[in-house]
Amino acid sequence: MLELQGLQRIWCLAKFELVRLFMTKRGALALAAFVTVWLFILYYAIGSAVEYVSSKTTQTIGYTLLSAEGMDKLLNWPVAELIVYWVLAMYSFPMFSLIASSDQTCTDRTRGTLRFISLRVTRAEILLGRFLGQVLILAVLIAVTLIATLSIAAYRDPSLLLVGMGEAFYVYKNILIAVLPFIALTSFFNSFTRSSRLVVIVTLLFFTIIPLIIAFIEYKLGMNTYLSYILPGGQISDVINQKELFMSNYVVPVMQMCGYLFLGHIVMKRSSL
Amino acid sequence: MSTLIKVSGLNKFFGDKHALNNVDFEIVKGPPVALVGPNGAGKTTLFSVLCGYLQPSSGQVGIFDAKPGTKATFGRLAALPQDAQLDPSFTIAHQLSFYGQLQGLSKRKSKMEVERTLELVGLSDVLKEKPEALSHGMRKRVTIAQALIGSPDIVMLDEATAGLDPLHAREIRQLVASLSDEITFILSSHDLNELERLCQQVLYLDKGQLQQHKTLANDIDHGYITLRMERKEDEIITALKSIEQVIDVVNSQDREYLISVRHKQDEIPLDIQILQLCHQKKWAYRQLINGKTLENQLF
Repeated sequence: MLELQGLQRIWCLAKFELVRLFMTKRGALALAAFVTVWLFILYYAIGSAVEYVSSKTTQTIGYTLLSAEGMDKLLNWPVAELIVYWVLAMYSFPMFSLIASSDQTCTDRTRGTLRFISLRVTRAEILLGRFLGQVLILAVLIAVTLIATLSIAAYRDPSLLLVGMGEAFYVYKNILIAVLPFIALTSFFNSFTRSSRLVVIVTLLFFTIIPLIIAFIEYKLGMNTYLSYILPGGQISDVINQKELFMSNYVVPVMQMCGYLFLGHIVMKRSSL
Repeated sequence: MSTLIKVSGLNKFFGDKHALNNVDFEIVKGPPVALVGPNGAGKTTLFSVLCGYLQPSSGQVGIFDAKPGTKATFGRLAALPQDAQLDPSFTIAHQLSFYGQLQGLSKRKSKMEVERTLELVGLSDVLKEKPEALSHGMRKRVTIAQALIGSPDIVMLDEATAGLDPLHAREIRQLVASLSDEITFILSSHDLNELERLCQQVLYLDKGQLQQHKTLANDIDHGYITLRMERKEDEIITALKSIEQVIDVVNSQDREYLISVRHKQDEIPLDIQILQLCHQKKWAYRQLINGKTLENQLF
């Protein structure tokens, strides 16, 4: 019974984050910026994808480019727009998720709002609720851009809508899983920082300094330490190239997500509100 | 009476600073409890530990026999934390309703609770407003309303009337008094008159140590009367000392006298004699208090 109440509280916190994005002025502004950027991507990159991937004159160029990156399997996809979307979204959404989810608990902690909330829910529930809220936001945004991409394809050739459904689901599932560790990483950074700006700075430092440290350790030891698995996104190129590795597609991102949420929970449990 | 809060051997360090030093006390269900002490005495730290915002360095803290900030306290312990602010992005109704839902109330019930609690603090008309549209005092009353959502057993108000105009401060005091049969309030304030009016039990903290833990009602029987005069009267101490039941008279403050009393069963009560004395001498008195004022008890 208590566990069910806990889940209800987490869901309540997550829904509140969705409302924050879609119903507040600040959220609407962020959404407007996102839509504008994606309108450009959809119009210029995805809208013209078909020329590069399907046209006889440019197919060779497209094939050469994708082969060079080990992505030649993608040319088997019947919807050209989805190929471009897959590559662009797989790289851009994880980066976007770092910025979009940079303010999960830090501003509320600084303002004292978390004090009202923590009298009603556990700190672990706050962490999970806010994390889930950000995942839901990203899930909605990915779905919207994916539907827009399919719509462009369907506008060109209506029969592609049904044909592309399978690939679209595959794309959606994998992008969503890929962003999970990035959101969990910012959940962790939120547990000890006091502003979203600081979270972004810490994230930048994390992705620049940690790889250098890992490289230095591996250079000194002269062996692969697998420490690079702590960096979210290391497996993304394998996922794009459809190597269909269960490890890359699911195990690594999910383990990273669990690891960062656990670290966030440990820090948050001990921190002052 | 059931114990609501039990604290034993509580210590809290901030670096080298010993903010709470071996604090022990118990609070049972009943009339409001005052938490007093000078600035930096550790009042807010104690509030924060009891609410689960801060982890104690050592010692035991039990709220309904559970640790602070755990499921057993949700919906039963509410608080107005000092300096905590509501989210500026949402309306008052939306935020308070959200808190109600977190406490397990349905959407409909939490909406009704929001309307009820805002009415209690005299702010029924701000439902659709955002916090930034409200004055400091109104925001404070909204956060008091958030503490009353549901049916909490304990409500902790840290400086609840600070920054409120006298009219609204009085309304909050009346609210606390009217709800104190159902809710045990713990009030922190620098206004000793306010605490004296509302509270029966006092926790006095100084330099992180609990100096006194006493019940105010007992002092009435301890043989003191406090007399406050309208003007300074030169002969008053001599005149008061001439009454047989008076043991001693101390000029505790400007125009305030603390009279030690020896009770005698078969004589006219001393307060009546003091009033008669004032009448005879044509002295205007302002207030006659049975017992010591809280200020005289503490300092």
